[in-house]
Amino acid sequence: MKKLSISMKKTFFSAMRSYILTAALIFIGTLSYTQITGTITDASTGEPLIGASVIVQGTTNGTITDIDGSYSLNANIGDAIVVSYVGYDDMTQNITQIITNINMAQGVLVDEVVVTGYATQTRGDITGSVASVDMAEALKAPLVNAAEALEGRVSGVSIVNNGNPGAAPTVRIRGFGTTGNNNPLYIIDGVQTTDGSILNAIAPSDIEQMNVLKDGAAAIYGSRASNGVIIITTKSGKFNQNKPAISLNAYVGSATVGNTPDLLNTQQHADMIFESFRNDGVPTDHPQYGNGTTPVIPSLLAGAPFDVPANQQGTDWLDEIFRSAPTQNVDFSVSNGDEKSRYSFSLGFLNRDGIQLSTGFTRGLARLNSEFKVSDRITVGEHINLSFSNSQFNNSVQLAFRQSPLVPVRDTIGNFAGTYAASAGLSNATNPVADLERNGDNFFKQTRLVGDIFAKIKILDGLTFKTVLGGDFNGINDRNFLALNPEHSEARTVNALTEQNLNFYNWISTNTLNYITEVNKHTFNVLVGYEALRNSGKGSQIRVENFLFETPDFYTLTTGSGTPQVTFAFDSESTISSYFGSFNYAFDNKYFLTATLRNDQSSNFLPENTGNLFPSVSLGWVVSNEDFFNDAGVLNYLKLKGSYGELGNQDTGNANNPGISISGLDINTANFPFGGSTATGAILRQVGNSNITWETSVTTNFGVELGLLNNALTFSAEYFNIETQDLIGQDFSLINDLSIDAAAPFVNLGSITNKGFDFALGYGGVTRSGFSYGVDATLSTYNNEVTELVSAFQVGDGVPFAGSSANRTAVGQPLASFFGREVDGIYTSAAEVAAGPDQGFEDDASGIGRLRYVDQNNDGVINDDDRTFIGSPHPDFVYGVNLNAGFKGVDISAFFSGVQGNEIYNAVRVFTDFPTFFNSNRSTSVLDAFNATTNPTGTQPALSSSVRNSEIAPNSFFLEDGSFLRLKNLQIGYTLPSSVTEQIGIPEVRIYVSGSNLFTITDYSGVDPEISPPDSANPLTLGLDVNNFPISRVLLIGANIKL
Amino acid sequence: MKNLILLCFITFVTIFACGDDFRQVPATGALSSEALANVEGLDLLLTGAYSALNGTRFGGTAQQFATGIDNWWMDAMSDDAHKGSTDGDQQELFDLETYTITPSNSYIRGKFQSLYAGLNRANAVIALGEQITDQDVSAQVAEAYFLRGFWYFELTKLYGNVSIITVQNFNDSDYNQPNNGPAYAQAESDFQFAIDNLPSDQGGSGRPTAGVARSFLAKTLLYQGQFAEALSLFNTVINSGEFSLNAQYVENFRGSGELGPEVVFAAQHTAEGGGSPNGNIGSLLSQPGGGPYGSCCGFFQPTIDLANAFKTNDNGLPLFDAYNDSDIANDYGIESIAPHTPHTGNLDPRIDFTVGRRGIDFNGWGLNPGKDWVRAGFSDISGPFLAKKTSFFQDEEGSLRGSGGWGQVHSGLDYNIMRYADVLLMAAEAAVETGNLDLALDYVNQVRNRAKNMAYVQSPDGGDAGNYVIEPYDSFSDANMAREAVRFERRVELGMEGHRMFDLRRWGITVATLNEYVANESRTIENFGTKARTYTSTFDMLPIPTGSIDLSGDALTQNPGY
Repeated sequence: MKKLSISMKKTFFSAMRSYILTAALIFIGTLSYTQITGTITDASTGEPLIGASVIVQGTTNGTITDIDGSYSLNANIGDAIVVSYVGYDDMTQNITQIITNINMAQGVLVDEVVVTGYATQTRGDITGSVASVDMAEALKAPLVNAAEALEGRVSGVSIVNNGNPGAAPTVRIRGFGTTGNNNPLYIIDGVQTTDGSILNAIAPSDIEQMNVLKDGAAAIYGSRASNGVIIITTKSGKFNQNKPAISLNAYVGSATVGNTPDLLNTQQHADMIFESFRNDGVPTDHPQYGNGTTPVIPSLLAGAPFDVPANQQGTDWLDEIFRSAPTQNVDFSVSNGDEKSRYSFSLGFLNRDGIQLSTGFTRGLARLNSEFKVSDRITVGEHINLSFSNSQFNNSVQLAFRQSPLVPVRDTIGNFAGTYAASAGLSNATNPVADLERNGDNFFKQTRLVGDIFAKIKILDGLTFKTVLGGDFNGINDRNFLALNPEHSEARTVNALTEQNLNFYNWISTNTLNYITEVNKHTFNVLVGYEALRNSGKGSQIRVENFLFETPDFYTLTTGSGTPQVTFAFDSESTISSYFGSFNYAFDNKYFLTATLRNDQSSNFLPENTGNLFPSVSLGWVVSNEDFFNDAGVLNYLKLKGSYGELGNQDTGNANNPGISISGLDINTANFPFGGSTATGAILRQVGNSNITWETSVTTNFGVELGLLNNALTFSAEYFNIETQDLIGQDFSLINDLSIDAAAPFVNLGSITNKGFDFALGYGGVTRSGFSYGVDATLSTYNNEVTELVSAFQVGDGVPFAGSSANRTAVGQPLASFFGREVDGIYTSAAEVAAGPDQGFEDDASGIGRLRYVDQNNDGVINDDDRTFIGSPHPDFVYGVNLNAGFKGVDISAFFSGVQGNEIYNAVRVFTDFPTFFNSNRSTSVLDAFNATTNPTGTQPALSSSVRNSEIAPNSFFLEDGSFLRLKNLQIGYTLPSSVTEQIGIPEVRIYVSGSNLFTITDYSGVDPEISPPDSANPLTLGLDVNNFPISRVLLIGANIKL
Repeated sequence: MKNLILLCFITFVTIFACGDDFRQVPATGALSSEALANVEGLDLLLTGAYSALNGTRFGGTAQQFATGIDNWWMDAMSDDAHKGSTDGDQQELFDLETYTITPSNSYIRGKFQSLYAGLNRANAVIALGEQITDQDVSAQVAEAYFLRGFWYFELTKLYGNVSIITVQNFNDSDYNQPNNGPAYAQAESDFQFAIDNLPSDQGGSGRPTAGVARSFLAKTLLYQGQFAEALSLFNTVINSGEFSLNAQYVENFRGSGELGPEVVFAAQHTAEGGGSPNGNIGSLLSQPGGGPYGSCCGFFQPTIDLANAFKTNDNGLPLFDAYNDSDIANDYGIESIAPHTPHTGNLDPRIDFTVGRRGIDFNGWGLNPGKDWVRAGFSDISGPFLAKKTSFFQDEEGSLRGSGGWGQVHSGLDYNIMRYADVLLMAAEAAVETGNLDLALDYVNQVRNRAKNMAYVQSPDGGDAGNYVIEPYDSFSDANMAREAVRFERRVELGMEGHRMFDLRRWGITVATLNEYVANESRTIENFGTKARTYTSTFDMLPIPTGSIDLSGDALTQNPGY
């Protein structure tokens, strides 16, 4: 171990040494005095244009711009140069000085510069599948996490938001390629991570570009690219801006919950309980509702140690835990640049209170991006992003469903009311308001520093060396105090403070050599690179019991009188090192070729399995640039493209050493008190698998891009086929109920394919009268199928319902398909029961009102062998539509997002529709419970005081259509006329009102159809709704000010 | 310019030189197989194997309340106990007690998982022991064999048809073995290995001796009806003098009596440490819920049927068939403020160390006031009594009250998996079946005489708390009478200790006994009769859990009838 840490240091110093060398280089750079030089940039964004052709007019003397957009050539003052670039209008400019910078205006077809890898490409050059987010439109919604901007705006990407403020949304690109972690790789300037929460630390307004690599084009990031790559570049100032650009954005608003299911009021609850008793054939005798033939609503809670008035109307617990939550955001940025330097500085503060009590997310952040031309050959710069945040994660939705309506929130003297005594007929849910309010002083504080420093050195014309050192430090400080709850029927006997301190350090060093040249109409762009990455984490959790006072200023780990217990501690590390290269070739803006190759070594695998090679190739043909193509017709632009790539995944979750079996000491599960004195023991904690190796995805992509009606209408369609082999996942069929109680090993579980189409459509224009309009729409499909598995099927380590899992992953089925009994109705008569298969009823009469299961194997008996595949959590398609219009300063935009054809296993109904906790409250759906005399057409099973007929075991009664269409955002803005703003000395002022999640069209009966799986890192539990935190409806008013 | 190129090149090469030490990262805080491969490592894993007796499992989705080593919820399926608390609290336990027994019940799965976890922790020790050749580890390995035999026995006792996981299977992670039948033969050979290799004295550590292993082997044979072989082994144990009865019966259920002379083998528990990780976690629900004892849970309540069994005739002998003709006085259906007079008839004094009833001291916590200390309501099926043997005494609260996550008590009280009285009564049973009635009489009377001569529970104003009348048998008139006497003695001596259901199964009388019990019990607890279904012989083996079958890739086969 000791030897190791020394060698680690050595490696780190060797990396540092290279930086010192690089720094030395910066000062050795020699200057050239004989040439005309300059930078070609986009006129609107200031981004450098790479590969632009620069020719001295009337000669063949020319060059193309390098990775910085710079060029140099021999010419005389007074000559004119012609600059041409795909998607831009050609420009001619006279040379009046030795440094000639040119801003290029874009042509009719918008052809932006897209950051696609270790370099940039223009949209027209791209041969792979790269989708970009229109950040300006996306930012109209009040985003907390930039990944929300992807929802419905980028084809092929599915986003599931998490209602808990501060929880990162789940991002999936083109289906589910693995049974393990499906998170894409995020690249934020020079930093790489698969941790989606990193976007909580980045202000969405700081983002210049967000691009998604969906196919083999991502192979340049081989090792971790199989779930797709999201590349984010942050805003910088512009060279030669020469005037500070200041912007100030602010909004305030309020968030509320959308529709919540209806629960029983007190009278309905009492009637439900009495009908259950009658159905069971037991006397109607209840501690609260009396023993008459009809229930009597008490005025005081029975079982309470003192007088607590019962809520005779019924407490609406959902109403009690939700609130109208204020939300505020303000961000400020200033940017500027001259010939030699540019910078952008921004500050932001966000407060998003959660719609549930004691939930929320507060964040402050600062960013500085700057870049300096140290000499005409050397540029250095950095991106630094520092954020502080506090998240309060709480969710008491399940308790709000369960708590009896009879219980008031508080008693007469203001203390929390509760269930008091177990036999009081109030079940055993804690008071959800009390739980939330008692958690009000808990926090989850994060300090995150994300950034990189870089240097670019132009070695020769066209040849550039770039080195980047990126880092991501994440410090987490979490406090959780568990207070006493004396009103509860299972009151805590001891209070406890639990604190976590976790630190994660990731660094990455990237070094590339890039050569760009043009020979006649042949453009070459070659890049080779080396990258090393290390992730490490260290942390512990300590719990102390017995605090004299329950006030936050008393909470430290030393003020409890109990023995401190370290409940976990870890110290982990993993590394990846990689070589890679890419070759881009273009001919005459017609034919394009990109080839990449990457070799990765991951420490997650044993030495014989560490390495893997990831090649890709893609081709493009811009047909509309051919001479034979008449681009003056309806069709103005036509591009065909295709790609093939192999991508990898080495993510083994928290198991950094999945190749070996790990035993360890464990105070909770391994010690034993021999003769009263506790001996230290060890257990096998994780079963290793020395054969574990890379998961690889072979992806093919074909696409077409069209521009019609003078390019006012753009359309793109892509077909993809991703075949993932050796998918990495824990094999729970190997380490299971028959085995030792260790963590299941990571294995290469099998193969899975995802095929589908991505469509994107854009239409827009401006009428002569100045009315502008635009429509952008995306639609994506994927078809997921498991093609190979090491075991007959996998059920994962998911949430069991009545002892077994509702999801099953098997060959020939989509990942995590629903599996259980098929329900085809409710038995309405003893004759029907007698005629049906044997469901194990005591007698025919007791089967009346119960769910009727299909006898799949026709053996006359209903048992576990009658389970079958009953549905799929995967949608037929997901889509998004963005509409915008503007006229004379008024702008309006509406954004819709939807999911179609998926099913949700509404596991919440285990509690709300069935007597899993008999005296708990239920959904109003039980009002339609079958009753032979009073409701013979009832659609819900007959009421009972206990769960009968195994009705909460996985079955199709819990499956619902999860389709929905949601108005994600509606915004109306007004830009003040310049005549007004000039008077107050502000160039541009826009004010707006905005509403998010204003309505949702769905048949889903749960709280919200946009469900996060119970464990987002475990796709084998896909489609389960287990008490989700609903998405909030946000109304706000804001202003954008530019100075 | 040349310098520039050179330096860039050097930079590249320097970084490219990241060596293998960068690409290989060892596991921090882990015990490597090299570190474990010695006596110290073996001891660590062996302690880990014992730790499974605390009812905790590493990770997984186990039903945490199901894993108790004391099989308390199997008692709730028998005529000894009700599940306790309210009917809706732990619905799946309600299902078990009312004989809606399905393979999807998570208690059945949680127990299955924890038994195999324990079994394979023992396998881990045996596997490691086979690798250590330069040191003598036979005694430790023998302990692991004993533990493995114990887990096989438990598994077979509960589930009937179980899978054998060999050391080779363990080494190969090849766990999905078919459950072709009982694992008694495997348990026997494991116990025999333990007998041959364990010392005769473990120095008060509570680790098994050869005598302990012999007792378990004898029990395994008894369960298979091999009475002569079982009796012979039991006699060896009895005659060895290694164990003896405590003078005071209650010492078997007190901290002060832990590892006393009567203990053959115990799951040792301790309350110490935050969260009491070595407390009796698997059985945390089976602690009284009300009154000063103050745990969350209030499960595990003795039945009226069990209390009735303690009634004695004027000769101080059990009532046998007539015990259930009338019910013992009880306070079911009345509040604590309503007057109640405890039973005035003759009683076996062991009742008041087994059944917590109103008006009698409850383990030093004061006079039991009845309903106020019972979580269950009157419409629930759980009745008026509290469990005493699993509840620590008030004067030992300081050392035995362990804490848990909410209002739980992780009790520090040991559970005696086998105690000497059990050995005597199993021996008596084998003696009866082999026609040795005098020996059976001797063994039964040893147990009864201890009960007779012990200190009885006292009332606060002095004197016995009840009208205790108990005497030994004069003789057994015939085998049938002897059999009935032995069986009755097991019930009153070992009631609420997790044996009853397995006794009934072994004797083949579950269907008759349990359906009769439901009928009798319903005289008092009406709803019990309405809610309980018919017990059928299918239930004599628990079902193999659905989730376990699923995960095994259908290597496991369901037991017949489910």
